[in-house]
Amino acid sequence: MRGFGRFVIATLCGLVIAVGIHIAAILASPYLADQDAFSKVQATLTAEKAQIISAPGGENTWLPNPDPATAVATCAFDLRNGPMRVSTRTGSLPLSFSFHKETGGVFFAVTDRAAVRGELEIVAMTGRQLDEARAAEDENDPSRDVRIVAPELQGFVIVRVVAPAPSLRPQAEEMAKAVSCTAEQDA
Amino acid sequence: MSIRRVPTALLVVYTLLLALGLGLSSAYWAINGNPPFGSLRLGPWQAWPLLGAPEADPYMRAIIARRGDVPLATGEGMGFRASTDSEGKPLDSACSYSIGPVAPIARVWTLTLYDQAGRLPATELGRRSFTSAEVLRDTQDRFSIVLSRTVQPGNWLQLPAEGPFTVALRLYDPPGAAGANLEETDMPVIQRLECGA
Repeated sequence: MRGFGRFVIATLCGLVIAVGIHIAAILASPYLADQDAFSKVQATLTAEKAQIISAPGGENTWLPNPDPATAVATCAFDLRNGPMRVSTRTGSLPLSFSFHKETGGVFFAVTDRAAVRGELEIVAMTGRQLDEARAAEDENDPSRDVRIVAPELQGFVIVRVVAPAPSLRPQAEEMAKAVSCTAEQDA
Repeated sequence: MSIRRVPTALLVVYTLLLALGLGLSSAYWAINGNPPFGSLRLGPWQAWPLLGAPEADPYMRAIIARRGDVPLATGEGMGFRASTDSEGKPLDSACSYSIGPVAPIARVWTLTLYDQAGRLPATELGRRSFTSAEVLRDTQDRFSIVLSRTVQPGNWLQLPAEGPFTVALRLYDPPGAAGANLEETDMPVIQRLECGA
């Protein structure tokens, strides 16, 4: 009976530790994943323009469940190179930006409804870069940039352009490719 | 003395193996499924509104990383999935279905078929999706999309040759907080028409 009691205690200990391992594995997996979206878009870090990852039609893409009616493009960013400015001219097709952290998870999203005079421009920066930009600013001529503080140094922007009809797909792809992502030197 | 020490060591090994086995296998199982919390179910349609929000829970983050997916962000749109019809029976390409007559208000919505692996199915028709701009409507602005393997008049999507499939309804740029004020009556009904053949 004593041996059985020890066995029960060992099993209970095992279950408690298993819960801890489960939680640790779930929390760690976004950091350990090597097949996640960020690792696939990392090659676009140096590109000046957004790179198509899923052309309309949904063929030849690593993106799971692609929507054939949308063009998806991306720019990766590394804020150690300075704040990143994402800008585009909007058109008649619905366009949206979403900002993702390296470890997955969205931290900001905006659609072209927020465009000013046909321009949609967002600057992603760290909290420190924001402070520096504010300090360097001329009080009489404040910057009109829309500034977003990124929670992590690395991440990526996803550009989605919807083509409501198949004939608009080439135009959607062109619009997605035309988005520029530039690292600013000490803006 | 030695008789008592061996069982203790064995018990410790047993405890650790049990913990590792259960902990890792349950985590693996969890990140290969759907997020366990925070789902929004409207009839056959299911969505995880927080999947594209900064408040996504650790399971959602782990699952996004595992899938290599980029979910629609809150404010950008909302994606619903259905793998059953409105009566709860699994969608099967041996049957035919009609989807309609209404869809939630959005700037554009798209309705897309996927196979079990999440790929676009290969069909002779080549069309796997409808958008709100393409779909033909009646005079009351209602629509009906027929999913079947054989040709149908009106809005028709061809089903793959065999096997289960899923339908995704994506709302791009919906008004208001995405999904917060949607009700089941806003969503299209997936009605099974006939089976066999």
